[in-house]
Amino acid sequence: MSGKLVTAGVLVAGLLAGAASGWFTLQNGMVQGESYSGWSGSKVTGSVDADPWTRARVAVSGLLALNKSQAIYFSRNTDDSGARLREDCRYRVSGGAMPARWWSITVYAADNYLPLNDDDALSFDQTEAQPDGKSEWSGLLAPKRPEGEPWASTSKAGDYDITLRLYQPTAAAQADYAAIPMPKVTKLDCGGAA
Amino acid sequence: MNRKLKLLGLFVGAGIIGHVGLVMAVPHALMSVAMSRMSGDGARINQFFFGPRTTKDSRGVVRPSPDLAYSSCVYDLGKGPLLVSAAPSPNQGYVSLSVFAANTDNIAALDTTQYPSGIRFVLARKGQSVPAGVQVVESPSDKGIILDRRLAPTAELFAEVDQARRADSCAPLAQS
Repeated sequence: MSGKLVTAGVLVAGLLAGAASGWFTLQNGMVQGESYSGWSGSKVTGSVDADPWTRARVAVSGLLALNKSQAIYFSRNTDDSGARLREDCRYRVSGGAMPARWWSITVYAADNYLPLNDDDALSFDQTEAQPDGKSEWSGLLAPKRPEGEPWASTSKAGDYDITLRLYQPTAAAQADYAAIPMPKVTKLDCGGAA
Repeated sequence: MNRKLKLLGLFVGAGIIGHVGLVMAVPHALMSVAMSRMSGDGARINQFFFGPRTTKDSRGVVRPSPDLAYSSCVYDLGKGPLLVSAAPSPNQGYVSLSVFAANTDNIAALDTTQYPSGIRFVLARKGQSVPAGVQVVESPSDKGIILDRRLAPTAELFAEVDQARRADSCAPLAQS
């Protein structure tokens, strides 16, 4: 094999290996950011200050995300014990007053789209969970519809994650994500045990 | 030995270029795909498209919110600035207009809390002539996307805000 051919082969192999490592980095989960009580979020999502890796990760898993002056996004794929969220389990999501004008919690399948079920319950939001403005609230993540409480269906969600959206967050929340009272995610049971 | 070291250096250097090159290219590539989808392969440029209610079948952009009504305007400032406006929703429900450059950066976000009677601004490239006395958003790229988001968690609310958003405008300044 000629020297030039070997050099070209090494060059192509290096480019391919680098591109593959870049793609793996982008595919390796949601926007990483910082961790807050089990939720992860990045202060530079959507921002012109985002580094190239954050910008690319947002493009893959949250294209057209707003910057934090308008909305803050947090995601997680584990419960409060650190166990992976499972489609066949039920989880209670609970919290208090959220520092935003409006909030919602949505279930996303591993492909970053909504789960392919017909339950018409892909999320629950402040208007359902806090209709009378009460501060304490809770909702359920489960594959079957519960009686009389906010619900996001996990049917056909597979290895899913959830996203918390805080729209029009307060200035204090924008300045310090660690001060945001993050909702708890508590496993109730699995496999239809209830 | 010397040649092996040179080849190793070449491999590592090419790897870094491949890694960074892909990371830099992905936002532009995905934005390009999104712009193509949202504009009907270029048929709807500089005009709003009022999307249907978000369902499990909504596959245009990753991680859509089922609680929001989305409208999009794929813009092209190549021939001049645009005048963009959004009417408020009934009962002062949440409405925002956000502008995204070709590299996915959210370069502006305005909402009806700031502008309760409606949002209105001129979108232009730096150096383009704009009228005095209007709010101007400067885009770093000729092309990008404007999104109108409205709170609509139920079918009833979606029907209400759908009617309101039909007054939105995204058109060349000269025609406005």
